[in-house]
Amino acid sequence: MNPSLQTRDLCVSLGGRQVLRHLDLRIAQGRWTCIVGPNGAGKSTLLRALAGLLPYQGQVLWQEQGVRPAELTGPQRARQLAWLGQAEPVSEDLCVFDLVMLGRLPHQGWLAVPSVQDLQAVESALRAVHAWDWRDRLLGQLSGGERQRVLLARAMSVQAPLMLMDEPLSHLDPPHQADWLAQVQALKARGVTVVSVLHEISLALQADEIVLLMDGRLVHHGPSAQAQTHRAIEAAFDQRLAIHALGPHWVALLVNPPASL
Amino acid sequence: MARSLLGADRRSSGVDPDAASPPAPRTHRPKWRAWAGVFVAGFLMSDPAWTQAPGVREDLQQALRLSQAPARVISLLPALTESVCALGQCHRLVGVDRYSNWPASVQSLPRMGGGLDVNLEAVVAQRPDLVLMAVSSPGQQRLRALGVPVLALEPRTHEDVRRELLTLARVLGLPDQQAQSVWREMDAALSAAAQSLPAYLRAQRFYVEVGSGPYGASESSFIGQTLGRLGQANILPAAMGPFPQIQGEFVVRSQPDVIVISADSREALVQRPGWSQLRAVQQGRICALSPTQADVLMRPGPRLAEAAQLLADCLRRLGSPR
Amino acid sequence: MRSAGRSGRTAARLGLWMLLVAALGLTMGAAAGSTGWQAPWRVWQDPTVWPIVVEIRLPRSVGAWLAGALLGLAGAVAQGVFRNPLADPFLLGSASGASLGVCLYLSLFGASLALAWPWTVQLGMTGAAFVGALAAVLITLTLSRGVQHTLRLLLAGVIVGVTLGAVTSWLSLLRPEVLRTMQGFMLGSAAWLDWAACLQMALALLAGLILSWPLARLLDALSLGENTARSLGLPVEAGRLFLVLVLALATAAAVAKVGLVAFVGLAAPHAVRAVASLPHRHRVPLSACVGGNLLLLADVLARSLMAPQDLPVGLLTAALGGGYLLLRLSRQQGGEAAA
Repeated sequence: MNPSLQTRDLCVSLGGRQVLRHLDLRIAQGRWTCIVGPNGAGKSTLLRALAGLLPYQGQVLWQEQGVRPAELTGPQRARQLAWLGQAEPVSEDLCVFDLVMLGRLPHQGWLAVPSVQDLQAVESALRAVHAWDWRDRLLGQLSGGERQRVLLARAMSVQAPLMLMDEPLSHLDPPHQADWLAQVQALKARGVTVVSVLHEISLALQADEIVLLMDGRLVHHGPSAQAQTHRAIEAAFDQRLAIHALGPHWVALLVNPPASL
Repeated sequence: MARSLLGADRRSSGVDPDAASPPAPRTHRPKWRAWAGVFVAGFLMSDPAWTQAPGVREDLQQALRLSQAPARVISLLPALTESVCALGQCHRLVGVDRYSNWPASVQSLPRMGGGLDVNLEAVVAQRPDLVLMAVSSPGQQRLRALGVPVLALEPRTHEDVRRELLTLARVLGLPDQQAQSVWREMDAALSAAAQSLPAYLRAQRFYVEVGSGPYGASESSFIGQTLGRLGQANILPAAMGPFPQIQGEFVVRSQPDVIVISADSREALVQRPGWSQLRAVQQGRICALSPTQADVLMRPGPRLAEAAQLLADCLRRLGSPR
Repeated sequence: MRSAGRSGRTAARLGLWMLLVAALGLTMGAAAGSTGWQAPWRVWQDPTVWPIVVEIRLPRSVGAWLAGALLGLAGAVAQGVFRNPLADPFLLGSASGASLGVCLYLSLFGASLALAWPWTVQLGMTGAAFVGALAAVLITLTLSRGVQHTLRLLLAGVIVGVTLGAVTSWLSLLRPEVLRTMQGFMLGSAAWLDWAACLQMALALLAGLILSWPLARLLDALSLGENTARSLGLPVEAGRLFLVLVLALATAAAVAKVGLVAFVGLAAPHAVRAVASLPHRHRVPLSACVGGNLLLLADVLARSLMAPQDLPVGLLTAALGGGYLLLRLSRQQGGEAAA
């Protein structure tokens, strides 16, 4: 296993509260890892720490060579890593095309004009989310799902070898969720490492690896098809979930509490 | 807020007496509007000024009911201070505003604030029998409510000055002749100053600047009237109001023969864009007033004749325009 | 590919229109003065008026345009940095700082008791206003300890604005003779602009445009949120600090010459956004053009509406700019009601 991203003794405290405690994690390259856990487990915080968007104690290393993200300059790091945040503000006046073009900023100089590669990257990203036809529309005119697809395209247009996505499926209807899953497979095929935070366990179980967090600690990290992983997830959610096989996939079903309450 | 705006102009109140009784609420009109109308009307009615007779004149003259001639007088307008002293009643003054400085004896009197920021406590502490203030000064209502008799006067023309001297004399319990004789003296001095000017110094076009903006004194102001008595003209016609604010360009176009301005502004006159074209500036035909001279000119009081003398002296110094 | 060129073409077309309006405005400005509204060809035919046009009306018109452009630029930058369509150039306390600077200068050096106050002071007054505006923004930055949190920055700006405003009021009560001048300053006036002032403002505008151009993409990326902007490799903190300083300089330069003119910095970027949604590299210069035209138009009206009286230009920008915003608001509400 050639870890793309590695943390050693990662600790993050926000507002005086210890959110992540002593995390040692090795995320494999070219695979799709999904971070799951109960609310407040620190999933988004972990993702942000991996992206270098928060101060942290401990180490975050890229590639086996031990390059610290902090040692790279901004644009260098930005070319290696694409970030898609959760529920972040968007200006209503940008049009779809301009927004996705912003993803190319790490590849452009301060005063550079968009190059042919930039335009091709934007077009392929927009086509992948089926938004090419309405690329002139303003963000304010889009629905929640359409906006999320455009934001996804923005992250994809960076064409970085590492993609960190926090709740990328919010507002997406099932067909587009399926599209996104297909996109992730395509990215994997190109050797991109994908790390996502998902709270839909059934979808998370389609990933290659699951990282299970509880109260800021790493409880389990293993392949998503393993029975050990499934039991760990069920235990983390107080047995309110039951994971069953359905054909080639695994699904998580909700379990109602006994009626004695 | 409605009260402070009432200071000067109660005639044009603009309050509809029907506002006191809101329209009968109909089903399709929201009820809150009716209640809001009642509230606003009640708020306005609570101001005693509204319950008194409307149509009160700008110079309240008969509103005071004094049982005897006031012995302790406070004056909050320099022109009124000077008028009181011109009537020989300086000894009755127990307090003045911070700008009153003539005659010298009033400079030792306690200061009660300025025209815009009257120190109510200081005024009341002096236990005055009468307070003289400008019509536009705030605080009149408050002083009256505190039981202090207030006489609001604001002379704007020569005729106003004459009338106010008479009013003051009556209020102070003096015979009318005293005020009339003071006025006759002023009038005679004004005529003397006018007659002292030779014919070739008459009918020159003046521009009197009273403030940055610039604000000028037109024909209808008391300064303009003084100039009129001296047989001089004014680039600002009476139709513009007494102290209009004008564009610098207007002065340049009008090419006045004489400019009257404070000494502090005189140096920078050339730097105003376009003013170097003024013949008056090029020929130095500028009456630069020292602060004391400015006081004399800017106060519509008993020193009107002194102001006229000042202007006449300046004219003689400048000679006729080339 | 089409869209990138399209926004450039829209921006160019808008820019051309704005320059046409500016030329028209300057022509009107040469014709409007103490005689009210005159036809421009009448002015051309009458040589006696030319010195007035050249020395008074033209510098005033050009200066009004430049000051409006500075405020429009600052407004667009402010709305981009704070991601808030209600941001205006005076947000960080620069207005109160300029007023305090003017008040201090007048109290210390305008010691005459007469109603008129020294004109030599006026030259130093612009410097005092400039320094005051900048100092206020620096105090705001210090209070918020940098530009990390926009909320803290805004709050510090409000605190500084209110505090300095109170100090100004207190000072002007101690020295009531400065009240008339302060009132003139706070309402804004283009009355005394000469060619030297125009040159100074032109330099400031050029500097502002040149300095904000490379950071336009930072403003675009900031609209996606700070985390995303940082993840795209942009120096968010340093860039924001730089933009705040550009904003402060542009505002200070405008306020020093024409006083506190309301609404131009707020309405100009809104007007640009209403016509076309453009990235910041086009929006900022276009906001400058729109702001310039707005103030120029307001100044022409100020001169000609009640000639020969000079209305304070701040009243007219409030009427024009405020009226425009009201129109947009009612249209928006109408649209929502119809939907």
